[in-house]
Amino acid sequence: MGRLHRQPICVASALLVPMTTLATPSWLGLDGVPPSWAVLWLLPWALVDGPVSGALAGVAIGLVMDGLNLGGVSQVPALLLLGWWWGRLGRRAAPVRRTLNLGLLAWLGSMLLGGSLLAQLFVLAGWQLAPALQSWGWHTLWCQALVTGLMAPIVVSLQLLMWRRRVPS
Amino acid sequence: MASTLRSGNSRWRGLRQLTPWLLLVAGLLLVRFSKGAGFTDAYALISRPFWPGSAQREWIQSAMDLEQRSKLMLLERDNQRLRGLLGLAQDGDADGAVSAAVIARRPRGWWQQLELGKGGLDGIGVNDAVLGPGGLVGRVESVTPATSRVKLLTAPGHEVGVWLPRSRRHGLLVGLGSSRPQLRFIDRDPDVRPGDLVSTSPASTLLPPNIPVGVIQSVNERAVPAAQAVVQLIAAPEAIDWVQVHRR
Repeated sequence: MGRLHRQPICVASALLVPMTTLATPSWLGLDGVPPSWAVLWLLPWALVDGPVSGALAGVAIGLVMDGLNLGGVSQVPALLLLGWWWGRLGRRAAPVRRTLNLGLLAWLGSMLLGGSLLAQLFVLAGWQLAPALQSWGWHTLWCQALVTGLMAPIVVSLQLLMWRRRVPS
Repeated sequence: MASTLRSGNSRWRGLRQLTPWLLLVAGLLLVRFSKGAGFTDAYALISRPFWPGSAQREWIQSAMDLEQRSKLMLLERDNQRLRGLLGLAQDGDADGAVSAAVIARRPRGWWQQLELGKGGLDGIGVNDAVLGPGGLVGRVESVTPATSRVKLLTAPGHEVGVWLPRSRRHGLLVGLGSSRPQLRFIDRDPDVRPGDLVSTSPASTLLPPNIPVGVIQSVNERAVPAAQAVVQLIAAPEAIDWVQVHRR
């Protein structure tokens, strides 16, 4: 089905993720929390290119994003899982076309990503996260999931449209 | 009978003649107890066209600025000399500072950081202090040849030792992800109150000494094991386009 990874222009589109992450203005977010561009790029990629490619792309984009961040916690495990899951959805289920479904998938993905980051913070803090840090973590998680879910119908739909044209099933 | 009527009439006439004087006395008393409010207001209204113009105000302002600058210069020189005698680190001087543009910012979210447009090639190193207009913003976390990444004071888990000049107490400023970090004290009674200035320690070797950081917003004296305070940072990372990096 998917041969997206053999098209250099499609692979090169991954470069937009770190660039957009760096260039996101503060108004393009919820309470200053920006959307997860990695999730918004990985979702259509995995849906079109399958679980193995999705998982590998998740690891690759996760490593790049970890390099751009301060460190401490990693996005790689969550993105790997998401790439695999969305790849299986793209292969096994009927093609996802509805914008609402795309928004829901992106929202779930962002929740999983935020949840994994929060869990890592919890472990790093010795299983005792200060209440103020907990409330900040939940606030960030919900804000990011919401703004990612809201942007997905536009961003992901466009990518799906372009990539499905290039790699017809 | 006629004489009594005449005397009554003359009494009323006398009172009528006194009325203006009584009114005048009442008016004067009013002026006295109102601290001359009516007079000063009227004077202000009449004399407004003759008030000193903006030019004169600017001259006075510039003279005052010059006076303040000269005082500051003398104090700084004195401070440097005394610090030299005590063997403490010197204040961040202009020679050690590098101006850098903020090329990307993420003041909220999971990682709270700034990307600067200057790096190792300009002499910036890890742990250098980063100052915005008003005070300390954070510290350099990593450096590439052309860029550097700053960990903001608000970043979760970021800890910086600070000083309260009024009460002369030390504290630990801890980032909690929100825009207002928490100040933890070691003493049970840190003698701190809202409005107190928070700065870097005068004896600090990790950061430039005596750099303003923020202002105490609220104090929780019931916190265990010691009091805690919420600090409002002076330099807001959301609105900074240029910063000064103080090389160590």
